[in-house]
Amino acid sequence: MTTLRLIRGEIRKLGTTKLPWGFLMVLVVVAGLDAAVVAFATDMDGSKAFIATAEDQRSLMAFASNAMIGTSLFGAIAVAREYGHDTVVPMFLTSPKRYRAVLAQLSAVLLTGATLAGAGQVLVIAGVALALPSTEFAFLVSTGDLVRLLAATTFAGAIGAVLGAGLGSIIRNVGGAVTVAVLVLFVIPPLAAQLVAEAGSWIPPTLFAVISGVDAAVSLGAALVAITAWALVPAGLGLVAVQRRDVV
Amino acid sequence: MHTLEFENVTKRYRHEVVVDDLTFTVLPGRVTGFLGPNGAGKSTAMKILLDLVKPDHGHATIGGKRYRDMADPARSVGVVLEPNAFHPGRSGRNHLRVLADGAGIDPRRISHMLDAVELTHAADRHVGGYSLGMRQRLGLAAALLGDPPVLVLDEPGNGLDPQGVRWLRDLLRQRAAEGGTVLVSSHLLAEVEHLADEVVVLNHGRLVVTGELSALRQAGTSVRTLGADRLTMMLRAAGALVHTGGEGELVVRGLAISEIGDRALAAGIALHELTPQAGSLEDLFLDWTTDDSAAESRGSVHENERTAVPV
Repeated sequence: MTTLRLIRGEIRKLGTTKLPWGFLMVLVVVAGLDAAVVAFATDMDGSKAFIATAEDQRSLMAFASNAMIGTSLFGAIAVAREYGHDTVVPMFLTSPKRYRAVLAQLSAVLLTGATLAGAGQVLVIAGVALALPSTEFAFLVSTGDLVRLLAATTFAGAIGAVLGAGLGSIIRNVGGAVTVAVLVLFVIPPLAAQLVAEAGSWIPPTLFAVISGVDAAVSLGAALVAITAWALVPAGLGLVAVQRRDVV
Repeated sequence: MHTLEFENVTKRYRHEVVVDDLTFTVLPGRVTGFLGPNGAGKSTAMKILLDLVKPDHGHATIGGKRYRDMADPARSVGVVLEPNAFHPGRSGRNHLRVLADGAGIDPRRISHMLDAVELTHAADRHVGGYSLGMRQRLGLAAALLGDPPVLVLDEPGNGLDPQGVRWLRDLLRQRAAEGGTVLVSSHLLAEVEHLADEVVVLNHGRLVVTGELSALRQAGTSVRTLGADRLTMMLRAAGALVHTGGEGELVVRGLAISEIGDRALAAGIALHELTPQAGSLEDLFLDWTTDDSAAESRGSVHENERTAVPV
């Protein structure tokens, strides 16, 4: 009961600032860009081969990896600013058992991240579906594949948000947390893949391609476990840090 | 009834001792002023009480329990710590809604508290546009949201207008009269003088003096003598705090008036005046917390005062 109250409070906390609405606006822009690409872009030969098959359209709409990056920034900002504004103080006063407060915060960020990512995926699918009639190709992706795309992206949103929240609670500074999130998701994975060939199968873009059904580098189960670890490691470290640190 | 107790609380940050072996009690039914210069350790001590900071030694309890072990802390302890602990983009009303949601407090209390702190007119504006006084009022509304019997307030009067200060004073007096426990730190000594029944004074993290304010104010003695230098040395050696008053008299604290007279007689020093003196809280505060060459002797003086006027 206490935990549910805390989660409710944390969700209200997120919903009463402009942060999620700002991210939603970004998603609308991304969906608009996707629709514009479908409507106006061409391959080098002037054709629209990049949307010719169901597989092409599904790859174009696969949004999970981007969703993870976006929601990791969302989670990092949402949690790090709590320290910047000292709003962690009332949080820990309401719940002096800090692990509860942190779990409530992670749950709220996870739910909001998943919702944003799911909404983003729906917008992207809608944008592509609305733009396709302006080409000679029909919307070819099956309902089953659309559901998988949506599920994968929603999951990616949740994972990214938790990863970002973990980094935010470790670093406690919005600029620093965002920078580290970008390093963790943009810079380190390709570097790791270049240094160790096998690492390329375990970085978020590949794992979400597997989960979305557009790649088969590893099994689905392994991809789910691996991508969950990407979120749980920083979240766990953040939880330990919050438990040990003084609030000064 | 909730008594606040600090027992041998020590906190260090690296090599700096911020709170040093602090032991005192804050009684219910009283307003206790928590005083000390900047950096004396008041805020850290309050944070230790509220389990925001872990002490290196000792512990602090509220009604015999540590804050983290209280069943419903938000309804038991109202807290004002940071004047800016708000998201600037969130409205005052939504700030209180977040707290009410998290603590399971009836949302109808929100409007009630906004009315009580006279912030209803600005409740739906972003906190970023609030003045310091308005933020203090919002912080007080948050502290009172759960109608708690204990209030722990760090500089709650900062930025309040005179009406607000008066309102706050009446509120805290009323809370104490109803049996509540009120610990309030402030630099507004004149205000504390009106407000507090008891004071706890820290300096450099150490307890300097604690006791009933009215008794502490009477604890000084005015002495006139031609042997002022000799008497000063002698009384300081006996553990008294001695300084020269505005009219050249000696002001002595920490020794009973009869003891001062007996010691002067024994030393053969003629006294031209020996009268009890009631000092203002500001005078007392400066005596207790000003560093000077008599710092070492002052430590024992304060111990004597503490013994003479126990909480």
